[in-house]
Amino acid sequence: MCKYCAEYGNGTKWYLNPQNYRDELYRAEGHENTVRMLGGAQKNTFEVGAMGQVDIMIPDTNYSDILSMALENMTAHGGQIVPLEDALKIIDLCQEPFVLMHCACRRYFGRSDVLRCLFFWPVANTAIKERPWEKDTRLLTREEAREFERECDRTGFLHSIWHAGVNSDGIPAIVMCHCTSTDCIPTKFRVSYGIMNSQRKGEYVCSVDPNECKRGCKDVPLCMKRCNFGAMRYNPVDRVLYIDPQACFGCGLCRAACPKGAIRLMDRSEFPALVDNW
Amino acid sequence: MEDYSYSVPRPVIDYNAEACGNAVLCLKCVKACMDTGHNLIGFMNTNDPPVGENAPKRLEDIHHMIIFSGMINCPGCGKCIDACPKKALTLVMPEPREHASKLQRSDIVFCVTNRDGSVTIPRS
Repeated sequence: MCKYCAEYGNGTKWYLNPQNYRDELYRAEGHENTVRMLGGAQKNTFEVGAMGQVDIMIPDTNYSDILSMALENMTAHGGQIVPLEDALKIIDLCQEPFVLMHCACRRYFGRSDVLRCLFFWPVANTAIKERPWEKDTRLLTREEAREFERECDRTGFLHSIWHAGVNSDGIPAIVMCHCTSTDCIPTKFRVSYGIMNSQRKGEYVCSVDPNECKRGCKDVPLCMKRCNFGAMRYNPVDRVLYIDPQACFGCGLCRAACPKGAIRLMDRSEFPALVDNW
Repeated sequence: MEDYSYSVPRPVIDYNAEACGNAVLCLKCVKACMDTGHNLIGFMNTNDPPVGENAPKRLEDIHHMIIFSGMINCPGCGKCIDACPKKALTLVMPEPREHASKLQRSDIVFCVTNRDGSVTIPRS
């Protein structure tokens, strides 16, 4: 439980707290501006602009901890990895319809454009109104959104939930993105530069049953290529795979690839050393 | 933070926005960088697009500019400069410089506090 759940979780995880999806919160003073900015016309100025500034912001990559400390108080926007189970619970909490929009991180760096950003309704309304040039936008019902989440899990896209700024009255969740660490701007910030606030680790850690794993795919570990964070270590002598809990982000994508079902999610709180590892 | 003057040397690409014009109509440098496998060049809107009746109807109606990010991964191959039809990019390679170990944080001494409260200073 990092500070977001402690302050905005109301006894559960912050993204499973229905208080963080209520209409008044999206319209509340202090939140309204950022919700409109991140959903509306200024989205790319903020997000892609941050990527354009990265070389100025980080003069010395050897000491990313200094930058991380400086950005610890950047509370205007941030996110967290969620596994499929929690993603489906989030879909149940939100209002219909969902709006599936293109992925800015991919489009603005020249990669193929895909629909991977799932906006929740009050924010999605702004997005449709303020960005009329995005004509490929799709409206999804709750059932279609659930199916979309499952499809992302099968094809190997991370689920991550994003908030639009922290204030004393709550932390409004606005969008669920589905990306990979090669393309995603915040994941690049986190993985390449160690900026914790850009994307926090999930509430879980993966764990392998070595006996089941030995009977599985053996020389060609299928789960390994689905790990975006380099948390998997393959031992060719024992033909078994290990997971580094310090590096695992708890996205759970590796589970879907395992033919033996040897990987399961454990609560992050079960590892004493991971208490402050987010 | 006062003596924190070291920065990782990296190539800088000088971008001439006037010569480039609306970047979204071309994007040859973005494509060229992606073909090298580095994917460090992107494009973004120069100003916030207007909202309401004047809102742009197509992506091409918004004025875009080229951005460079993560240039620590740039080898300076110059493919983007060759690809630019308007000569808007110039490659500036970094000056050779001292190693970080010679420049950085020489004032910090890592001390150890022992159980009895005494302090061991490894080098004095």
